[in-house]
Order: sequence, then C-alpha cells, then structure tokens
Amino acid sequence: MKSAEGGRRIFPGVEIVLGLVMIIVAVPLAWTALLAFMPNRAIVSPTWDFSFWLGNFKDLYGPGTAFAAQTVNSVLLTAGTVVLCLVIGSIAGYSLSRLGPPRWITLPALALAALLPLVPPMTLVPGLYLTMNALGLLGTVAGLTLLNTLFNLPFAVLLMKSYFDQISGDLREAALVDGASEAQAFMRVMVPLVRPGLAAVGIYTAIMAWNEFLMALTMTSGGTSSPLTVGIASLVQPFEVTWGQMAAAGVLVSIPILILAVIANRQIVSGLTAGAVKG
Amino acid sequence: MTTVVAPSTAATTAGRGRLRSAGTAGAMVATVALLPFVAFLLVFAVYPLINLVRLAVSNTAVQNAVFVSEFTGLSNFGRVLTDPAFWHSVLITTAFVVLTVGLTLVAGLALALLVDRAVVLHHLARNVLIWPAVITPVVVSVLWLLVLSPTVGGLNKLLRTFGLPEQSWLNSGPGAFMSVVAVDVWHWTPIVFLFLYTALKGIPSELFEAARVDGATERQILFQVTIPLLGPALVVVGLLRLVMSIKAFDEMFLLTGGGPNGATNLISLDIRSQFFDRLDFGYAAAESIVVVVATLIIVGSAVLIRRRSVGGAS
Repeated sequence: MKSAEGGRRIFPGVEIVLGLVMIIVAVPLAWTALLAFMPNRAIVSPTWDFSFWLGNFKDLYGPGTAFAAQTVNSVLLTAGTVVLCLVIGSIAGYSLSRLGPPRWITLPALALAALLPLVPPMTLVPGLYLTMNALGLLGTVAGLTLLNTLFNLPFAVLLMKSYFDQISGDLREAALVDGASEAQAFMRVMVPLVRPGLAAVGIYTAIMAWNEFLMALTMTSGGTSSPLTVGIASLVQPFEVTWGQMAAAGVLVSIPILILAVIANRQIVSGLTAGAVKG
Repeated sequence: MTTVVAPSTAATTAGRGRLRSAGTAGAMVATVALLPFVAFLLVFAVYPLINLVRLAVSNTAVQNAVFVSEFTGLSNFGRVLTDPAFWHSVLITTAFVVLTVGLTLVAGLALALLVDRAVVLHHLARNVLIWPAVITPVVVSVLWLLVLSPTVGGLNKLLRTFGLPEQSWLNSGPGAFMSVVAVDVWHWTPIVFLFLYTALKGIPSELFEAARVDGATERQILFQVTIPLLGPALVVVGLLRLVMSIKAFDEMFLLTGGGPNGATNLISLDIRSQFFDRLDFGYAAAESIVVVVATLIIVGSAVLIRRRSVGGAS
C-alpha cells in the first residue's frame, strides 16, 4: 500500500487547490473557536483585537442560565435515542433479514419507513404537535427522545437488516439445533456478530440526535426543557450582544462531534453513505 | 463435529439467501420481533398523519389548552393555493433547491477528483472535508453568523483591512439569499464528495490506464471515462441532495429567519411561522400536505426517470 502510494506522482496544483478548499472549510470553525476565547469588547471592535479570556464559558454556565440543564437534556436525549434505535432496530432488522415476517405487516411498515425520510420533517410538525400534546409529551425530554427515534429508526432497521443479511444463516440454525430458543440464538450468537453494524448505527444516530434542532424547537418551550441546540438558538438575538457566548456554546457543542469524527471516521463514513442510500 | 457438518449441508440446499421460517410459530416470532418498530410507526407516524389531515380540513383554535376543530372541508387548501406569499415561498424554495443541488454536485465531484489525485494532503483531506456535514447545523449557522454579521463578522473586518467597502451580507434580499445558498453548499458538499469519492475508488484503475495507453488526454478521460462511469453515483447523490435541499430549515432559521422581506422564506420556514407565529393551524397543515404531495411527485418522477435511463438495472 505504502510503496504504491509513495510511487504516485505529486501534482502541485492539486495539492494547492485542495489546501485552499480545506482552508475554506476550516476558517469559519477556527474563527468561531477564536471568538469563543475573546471578550465581547474585542469581538465588536472594528479592528483586529485579540485578547484571551475564559469568561464566555463561565457566563454560559453561570447562575440563572439554562445551559447546564440543556446539556443534561442533550445527553439524555442522545443516549435514549441511541439505545432505542439499537434495540428496536436490531430486533426488527433481524426479523426482516432472518425470520421472514408475513407480508401484510412488512409491506406497509417498509413503505412508511421509506416514505418518512423523504418528506420534509417540518410538514409532520403540525400533526406531531397535536399527537405529543394528546400524549402529554410536549416539552419533555422523553417526547423528544421518541421523536428522534422515529426519524432515525427507518435507517437503523434497514442498516441492521443489511448487516444481518451478511451473516450466514447456518449459525442461527446451529444454535437452534443445539436447543437454543430464537431469543437466545439472537442474543448470544447473532448480535455479537453484527457489532460493526451496531457501532455504525449507534454513532450515526448519536450524531443525528445530538444535532437535532427542528423537533426540539417546535416541541419544547425553550429554557430548561430544551436541549443544547435550542439553547444556542436562543443566544442568537438581534438586540443582545452575546457573540462570545454564542461562539463558546458552538465550540462546546461541536467538540464531542469533532472528536467522534476523528476517532470513528470509518463508522461515520459508512453511516453517512449507507443512510443516504437507504434514504 | 456433526453439528458443524449438518448446517453446512443445509446451507447448500437452502442457498445463501434468507431462510424463511416455516409454520405459524415462526411467523409469530417474526411478527412479535417486528412489533416495536410497527407500534412506533403507528403512534408517531400514522397517528400524526391522521392529525395532520384532520387539521387541514378544519378550522382549529386552542381553547383552554385543548385543540378544538370545526370541519371546513377544503377551504384551507384553497387559502394556501391562492396565497401569493405561498407561491413566493415556492419560488424561493425552487431557486434554492436548483442552485444548492447543482453547486454541491459540481463542487463535490471536483473535490472527489482532487482528493483522488492528492498525495500529500490525501489523508488529512478525507478527514477534514467531512467536518461540515457532521457538525451541528445550528452551530453551522452560528459559524456563518460570526463570519457574515455586519457588526462582528470576520468577512467585513477582512474587507475593511484591505480598504474595501463593507457589505451587509444578510440585510439585503439578494445578499441574504446568496449567503444562505453559499452556507448550504459549504455544509453539504462533503456528503456529495464522500459519495463520489467512494464510487471513484470502486472503478477499476485498469479502465483509466487503458484510456491513457490509447492516448486519451486528461480532459478526454475526465469527460468520456470518469464522469460517465460515475453517472449512477451522481444520480443517486443528486436525488439525495434533492430530498435534503427541500428539507432545509435549521441554518436558515437562525441566519435570516426567512427575511429580509421573505427573501429567504423557504417553505419549511413558512410552515413554522404559519403554525407557531400566526397560529393558523389549518393553513399550516394544508400547506404541509401540499408540500408532502409535491415532494413525493418530484422525488417519485426523478426515481422513475432514473429507472428508465438505467433500464431498471438497479
């Protein structure tokens, strides 16, 4: 591999253009990171004034702010969505892949699961709002967890199905012959074999739930009932100068995602491409 | 030992495909395993859709924190379809979709080809170029607000430093619209890049070498070998971008809020403000149904055209 790459020709033009594109990608990120560590006085100054301070982060978590509660909400919401998607997704994916459920149930379910990612989520908001209201789930983290699960479940089910499809059916048969129940064969034999699939689904749904904004915006009333995405949005107000806090909040929310993007690059890439194809 | 042999012979008779469980007991297990998924869809997709239709055909008001509906037939649809503001929103959304899908496809293709050629920056680029697509969309709007803002924006500071006139990027109609398009392109080109790069790696290198041996120029290879071979992947990712682009909401909501004067009032933003700001629930629901039907027609016909052109191969 290495020798093959070492022998490749270097085109300086290609490297320069690519370097410029990477700068365009990185500059808004770097600019925000920079502003996060600057006082508002320096930020609004018409000249380049770089002073370093940590006050923005302190202010975010200061007394009377909802940011700490919102952080907890985001973590709970993400964890809940991941767990629900992994459990329901792997059981349903397994059923579709190996157990051959009757068509009267799979056809409408799959048609709906295929349709769901196509329509703009906003068009579902009016109906969802009434539904969440009727169920008493408006403004709750549990409600948001369920909605995030809804939007990620079609992907989770279909991706888990494709992972189960790749495993030889012999193993399940062997476990059943050896006296295992269907549930035991699933838990002890099949699930451990699809760990890469679980990782891809888990990381992808974690990112989606952590990033979700529309449902959080429309189904909660802000403040301590909301996750971080709505918290950041509430910092964006035309007449209040909270630029530094905005930047600091952006940095805090992005850090877990960027760490994931670096350490789990392979799973994210497979999630992004697979999720896209199924969609 | 025998347990190892027996299943493998069974496998040869059953083939590598799925093993259908025979009998009603097997079907029961399969159905039960599917139930949580189906229940989820019933409660959070089917029931809300029924609610959506109910809202669309009624005049609804909130009385004592309860939604009270009065059947009004199709009048909400009539109000939506005769509303110039709705058609303005459709126009803005169409322009946005055409521009962002086209630009991300071109930029993504260019990036895939560049990264494929790159040696020094190859690995770093494959990591960095994915960042915009995974970063929180709300943060993307914060990033660009901090770059484009008239008061603190880095872009204006830069212009000032070079003695150039400052621009109010987000305060003029065309400026705001082009800013929103640019941000969307920055945000989602990585998805196109990822897709096309993966497809490019799947093409056997002998094909390019053969073309080179036959004396084809780089330009000929690009337009007569690479792009045609990437055709199916381009169509798939184009469809994906089409769906994503119609959905756009998060970044615009914070960057412009649909303004100034509706210049960036994409259809999703319009539905939100009808429902939550004007509390016109029937209008918002009818508008949603119109958008769902239109989206399904557009995406459906795009899929059909693709099927026909590929001859139903995939």
